[in-house]
Amino acid sequence: MRRARADSLWLLAAVAFVLAFVAAPLGCMALEIVWTGGRLDLTPLGTILGDEHDRRQLLTTVALGVTGTLIATLLGLGHAWVTFRTDLFAARALGAAGVVPLVLPPILVAMAFSDLFDTRGFAACAALLGLCYAPFVAVLAARGLRAISGEAYEAALVARGRAAAERWLLRAILPEVAAGALFAFAFVISEHGVPEFLTVKGKSWHTYAEGIFAKWTRRATGVDHAALASPIVAALPLVALLAVALLVALRLRGRATIEGDHRPLPMRRLGRLRHVALALPLGYLGCGVVLPLVVMGRWAGGSTNRATGVSLERMLESFRLAVTEASGDLGHTLLVGVAATGVLLLVAAPLAWNAARRWPWIDHLSIAPVAVPAVLLGIGMVRAYNRDLFYGFYDHGAILVAAYAARFLPFGVLTLSAAVRRVPRELEEAALFAGRGQFARAVRIHLPLFAPALGSAGCLAMVLALRELDVAVVLPAGNGTVVRRLSNIVHFGGEEMGGALALLLVLAATVVPLLAVILTGRKLRSLS
Amino acid sequence: MRSTHWLPLLSVLLACTLSACGTDDAVVLYVALDEEHSKQLVARFERETGTRVKARFDTEASKTVGLVSAIIEESSRPRCDVFWNNEIAHTVRLGQKGLLAPYVSPAAEGLPSAYRHTEGLYTGFAARARVLIVNTDLLPDPAERPTSMWDLIDPRWRGRCAVARPLTGTTLTHFTALRGVLGDEEFERFLDGLFENDVQFLQSNGATMRAVRDGDVAFAFTDTDDFHVALTKGYPVACVFPDQRADEVGTMLIPNSVALTLGAPHAEAARSLIDFILSEQVEGLLAAGRSAQIPLRSTVPGPAAQEILGVDAFRSMEWDLEGTAASLEDSSRLFQNRFGG
Repeated sequence: MRRARADSLWLLAAVAFVLAFVAAPLGCMALEIVWTGGRLDLTPLGTILGDEHDRRQLLTTVALGVTGTLIATLLGLGHAWVTFRTDLFAARALGAAGVVPLVLPPILVAMAFSDLFDTRGFAACAALLGLCYAPFVAVLAARGLRAISGEAYEAALVARGRAAAERWLLRAILPEVAAGALFAFAFVISEHGVPEFLTVKGKSWHTYAEGIFAKWTRRATGVDHAALASPIVAALPLVALLAVALLVALRLRGRATIEGDHRPLPMRRLGRLRHVALALPLGYLGCGVVLPLVVMGRWAGGSTNRATGVSLERMLESFRLAVTEASGDLGHTLLVGVAATGVLLLVAAPLAWNAARRWPWIDHLSIAPVAVPAVLLGIGMVRAYNRDLFYGFYDHGAILVAAYAARFLPFGVLTLSAAVRRVPRELEEAALFAGRGQFARAVRIHLPLFAPALGSAGCLAMVLALRELDVAVVLPAGNGTVVRRLSNIVHFGGEEMGGALALLLVLAATVVPLLAVILTGRKLRSLS
Repeated sequence: MRSTHWLPLLSVLLACTLSACGTDDAVVLYVALDEEHSKQLVARFERETGTRVKARFDTEASKTVGLVSAIIEESSRPRCDVFWNNEIAHTVRLGQKGLLAPYVSPAAEGLPSAYRHTEGLYTGFAARARVLIVNTDLLPDPAERPTSMWDLIDPRWRGRCAVARPLTGTTLTHFTALRGVLGDEEFERFLDGLFENDVQFLQSNGATMRAVRDGDVAFAFTDTDDFHVALTKGYPVACVFPDQRADEVGTMLIPNSVALTLGAPHAEAARSLIDFILSEQVEGLLAAGRSAQIPLRSTVPGPAAQEILGVDAFRSMEWDLEGTAASLEDSSRLFQNRFGG
């Protein structure tokens, strides 16, 4: 009885968190659209897409989303295919590295590419975003390939021949690939940081998220002062698009094959193409990880300064500057990341358990924070908490912790609920009947079973929190985050220190999952 | 996972969350001046006075107007004590809206009265000039270089020059002031000319500087601090203070400004911070730093780069501060329609 009460309290606390930091911000915004001057007013809704400017931005954004997603799919699926299906050299290590580009903040990748190439064009912007979000496809496609039974594939091979077997295999992993692609689509179309950075670098067209942010920024300076709801109203079509994409992704993911005990797919021998095929994973990882890191290293060494050029002394000086001037920001960012991750796991755990065991619709509801562009979620937090009652909370780090935990909650809930579903109820019941106490069951049954999923959800949340820029530019507490500082430094010509700071951030983001793996001695279960 | 033995973890999380929070005794400074330029000065003030400052910086994307919007929205219960703006028109506008409190700082002595409110609602100091940055590889002969804002609409330079969209920051102030100085008709002719001459409209003055630096265009309007960044990094650039002939409008000078907000929660410490910001020492540091601001006091040494002239070495544009601020909203709407988001 005591235990049931504690579980209910935990669930209630999680629901309260969701209500406070997801429902309240979104609700406040929704209310502002239709409630003005103390009465119901639906006229703002009539302005949706009434502006030619908004329509053009929305079309551009959808085109960017589709192109970026195609690129993400080609890269992610290609990477997963050659590393999990073929006898490629170092396939296992390269396959596992498919998720690594996720560690790098997209803005960092954009900075690196804009340093080397002209990235103002539509194609360049789409390619950048596709590259940054390809890990979603790579990870889910790999999961799909792992889940296919080798016996089934061989049966198809024997019955219908190689080409038909490969087509069958592609069809079998399609739900996973499509789910990954739709997740990538959702992130590409709601991304604000990269398009905004490229605009400052000279891009002359604008995305919808940029338009929302611009409306928000200028809300009190005359342009939109009479229509405070304007940025929120303008965002509705984008939110609808995101929600549809994510719901379809979730449905597809639900249809995907669950991993079981079976023989893995037989490796395809590439023969003479074995080394040529390396170009794909090396190109993907080279562009998504190595090139940005090299450019940041060169920046730290002074490459942007024509007067001095690159030197080791300069690089050391940049790191010294980054440590002395931005160590506070780095510490603050890590602290916020750790706190947000912990809060996320605490909130996600009871929601995931209940999604898996009682109410599957929780999975669908949980995607709400990702279905809203991060910029808009940040605006919602401002609208909900920039008031007297929350005076102390509004501009403190705690609101950032809550915002990050809320923003990335879907990843926690989905990862953990998938893990819970894999565990038969009988196992738990057996432990209960065996008379094991509550503590023993938690330590000996639940923790070993769910530790990898908790670890991967935690690592993912931590990595995403460290690279989050869109929420940080809206909330005052985001001032002290490294990624925001980074975007500002580079605008002001401080590439040397910016490069060093970027490398320190990536190091921090890499150390976290590594530590988790080393300390637990287990492989993490990835996004699946 | 259903265990309730989470107390140790909860304690750690609580500690992290509380550590991520700040304390409330700090004076709150909203700074529109570039973070990298102002952060060290804020740290210096903290070291010298022992007063903690909680600084909120603006982003490049929402230059100045983001913080102005925040101050307006928070006016029912202000959070900001001191607003340090990297231009002055929006500060004047906040004063016109009744959101600033008077404070005549003793440290403001020696600063020109043209940029000071008579009752101390705001004070201007350390300025940037709106200059033409020129690519010296493309235009090696100084005699061939543009000398006036009107060169932007000269067919000779068709498609070879750039200006930032006048939607935020100093370009918004510059264009709004020009509208007042030239009159509506002449200003419209200038705007039309920009479009007819295929002038590139970029997002910021940093972007125009980069476009010139990289040779995408021959010249562009930018601020002296952006020019200085390109210069010190060894790029082939030169700077022209435009419109210096007697029949021309002169070069626009846009000072930083500082103001105490009405109902500032930490008014006493805020005044001390304002005194520090307005001191000769800070003006000197801003001149010597990477932003190479032009001191408004002749007693303070100017930037080391000789290309950036001292305040007495060029003819600055005379513009109506209060009138410009009053027409910001109207101009903003006009520019939004003409230049888009």
